[in-house]
Amino acid sequence: MKLLTHNMLSSKCLKGVVTGYPLTIIAKDVKVSEVDFNQEFVSRVLPKLDWNVLWKAAERLGHVGELPQTLIENYENDPEFLKKVHHVLLEVEVINGELVCPETGRKFPITSGIPNMLLNDDEV
Amino acid sequence: MEDLPLLYLDLKLKTKRKLRKYQHLLTKETDAVVTIESENLMICNAGLVSGNQREELVQFFSSFGAIEEVSMSPGKSYSFIKFKRTHDAIKAFKEVNGQKGLPSMDSCLYLLFVNKVPPLSVYEDVLPPGLLLLENFINEHEEEMLLNCVIWSSVDSDQEKCLKHRQVKHFGYEFRYSDNNVNKDAPLMESIPQECGFLFERLSKSRPELSLWMPDQLTVNKYEPGQGIPPHIDTHSAFNDPILSLSLNASIVMEWRNSERQHFSVLLPRRSLLIMSSESRYAWTHGITPRKTDILKNHEGNLTVCAREVRVSFTFRQLRREGPCMCQWPKFCDSQTPKTETQVDRLTEDCASKLEKIYVHQVYNEIASHFSDTRHKPWPNVLSFVMSLKPGDILLDVGCGNGKYFGHNKYIVEIGCDRSSNLMEVCTTRGFQVFQCDCLVLPLRSCTVNACISIAVIHHLSTQERRKAAINEIIRVLKPGGKALIYVWAKNQNKEEMSSYLKQDRKNRRKSAETSVNHTKFISLDESNYPKTAPDDQIRSFGVTLPVHSNRTNFQHNNLLVPWILKHGDSKNVEEAPTFLRFYHVFEEDELVQLCISIENCSVERSFYDQGNWCVILVKS
Repeated sequence: MKLLTHNMLSSKCLKGVVTGYPLTIIAKDVKVSEVDFNQEFVSRVLPKLDWNVLWKAAERLGHVGELPQTLIENYENDPEFLKKVHHVLLEVEVINGELVCPETGRKFPITSGIPNMLLNDDEV
Repeated sequence: MEDLPLLYLDLKLKTKRKLRKYQHLLTKETDAVVTIESENLMICNAGLVSGNQREELVQFFSSFGAIEEVSMSPGKSYSFIKFKRTHDAIKAFKEVNGQKGLPSMDSCLYLLFVNKVPPLSVYEDVLPPGLLLLENFINEHEEEMLLNCVIWSSVDSDQEKCLKHRQVKHFGYEFRYSDNNVNKDAPLMESIPQECGFLFERLSKSRPELSLWMPDQLTVNKYEPGQGIPPHIDTHSAFNDPILSLSLNASIVMEWRNSERQHFSVLLPRRSLLIMSSESRYAWTHGITPRKTDILKNHEGNLTVCAREVRVSFTFRQLRREGPCMCQWPKFCDSQTPKTETQVDRLTEDCASKLEKIYVHQVYNEIASHFSDTRHKPWPNVLSFVMSLKPGDILLDVGCGNGKYFGHNKYIVEIGCDRSSNLMEVCTTRGFQVFQCDCLVLPLRSCTVNACISIAVIHHLSTQERRKAAINEIIRVLKPGGKALIYVWAKNQNKEEMSSYLKQDRKNRRKSAETSVNHTKFISLDESNYPKTAPDDQIRSFGVTLPVHSNRTNFQHNNLLVPWILKHGDSKNVEEAPTFLRFYHVFEEDELVQLCISIENCSVERSFYDQGNWCVILVKS
């Protein structure tokens, strides 16, 4: 699971949960791999994400580096900044661990990079 | 199966394979066996059924030597020839087998040496149980009178319809071909003609047990040469036992078959009355093969090919009014097998979810790697939807399988989800971002994705409510203005040209796929016949019965189980390959659109038919 995916996942589908976002990451194995950087792609994806959630997730995994907690303005023309965003979005991957619902504490296992978001019939 | 004798070793591989098939047919249908060499040959693929005439065979084989006899049986696509000398038979065998054909044939002839020419079978005197044939039931004068009491108008009316296969007129009640039943509360203006009355007086004299039986529905069929009627069993709940059929103006051969693959070709002579009762009425199909000739006996008593003439049949039936059919053949009885459509749709959420767990999720997990190996080529219209997305767009593939639509558009964010963990693993090895979930509850925030595709997924949900809920989830996660492309399997596989699903059957490539009436197997999900891994209680609790589809044929039902034959890379043997059954709801035309427009914030931008699927492009408002 990359942080791009994490940015969209929610446990609101659980019975009784109001927001279910963001899910807390408990990472056991984190893999970092190199992915080709595409400046336009990153700058176009960025406005579709929740920056605050991305930043906190990156910090939790120890990969936040020099990224500012507040999104900078005019980042479209700042390749250095976008490269750092690219790194946390696409190069850092949780291989094994858990995602935790912020309201109920329900844990969703991450195995071989795949979050298991299946619910039991009585949880819906 | 036993091996062919040594003499056959020199033949081409294809010929040997064919011959082994015909050898099997020979031992199954006759008491003759294949020998090393003899004066007798089985002509494996030329017979009366394939339209070959005795004269043709005599002429062709005479060039090899003197012929003692040629033996042809009705209902068979093979025949036998006995040469005077073994030497000539060997010559024919060597020169013809898999190399030459009759002038009228496109393909080669296949020959086998046999130990004898099996006794000629004519039309069986033995009939299916419960079938009775009364020959010369009426005289020529009565025949003419009956023919005259049906006036065929040139214009189609409600009672008189020109079916694909024949002209039909109804009296008493209309027989509805849409559901093979009658509306018992809607009698027709025209009841059974008075002129028919004498038939039942006469019948009660010869068959006293039928003296109280009186029909109230008559169907008159007019068969031109070349026309026929597909094999069928008259709907149990619609009519009582027996059903009568009077043949006028010409004789014809009717085919009777049961589920044990017994087959009788019954000659219905002109002016005869056929009484179908008990087992023959309830458990045997009857039909007339559309062709222009029949094999009948000539004046000398020899079988020969006769051109068909116009035959008119009067079928007399009595509506069933005393409640459901209680016959001893529940397997074929609609009264005793509730309809599958409503059954499945009425499942409780709990049962529907269990059904999908066993007949969809577990199956995909089991077949994941084989399934993935067979899913390479993206469908062009889905691909062009994916390629039309703008750079930076987020695409969600609900039920992404092996990620067939990922990696094509390099400028978008692709996220997939699927129920099957094994298919998810295939995706991660290919480097795609996926998570495991159920399409009924997508674990995503609302309004997050720009586009969504869901290809061949929603037809695996067992109730309409669940299918709607799945589309509703897709709409929920879309951003306003976002688009979704949905494909579901169409019941009609012949909408435009034949879908590739049907084309994959070689037989269908040659002839257009007509609706084949085969003995559909039904599986009651109450019985723990599948799968062995599932706890018994899960299956027993459904209480539904589903038909098992014959692969590469048209769909006969809306809710059904489709077999997947699991082939491993190292095993080519189909017989040993385990078969898995997947649940499908196949969609009628417009059904998907109707489902989508009932959903809030959802409008249908386009709907179309593609590759045997009904498809929609939805827009979130």
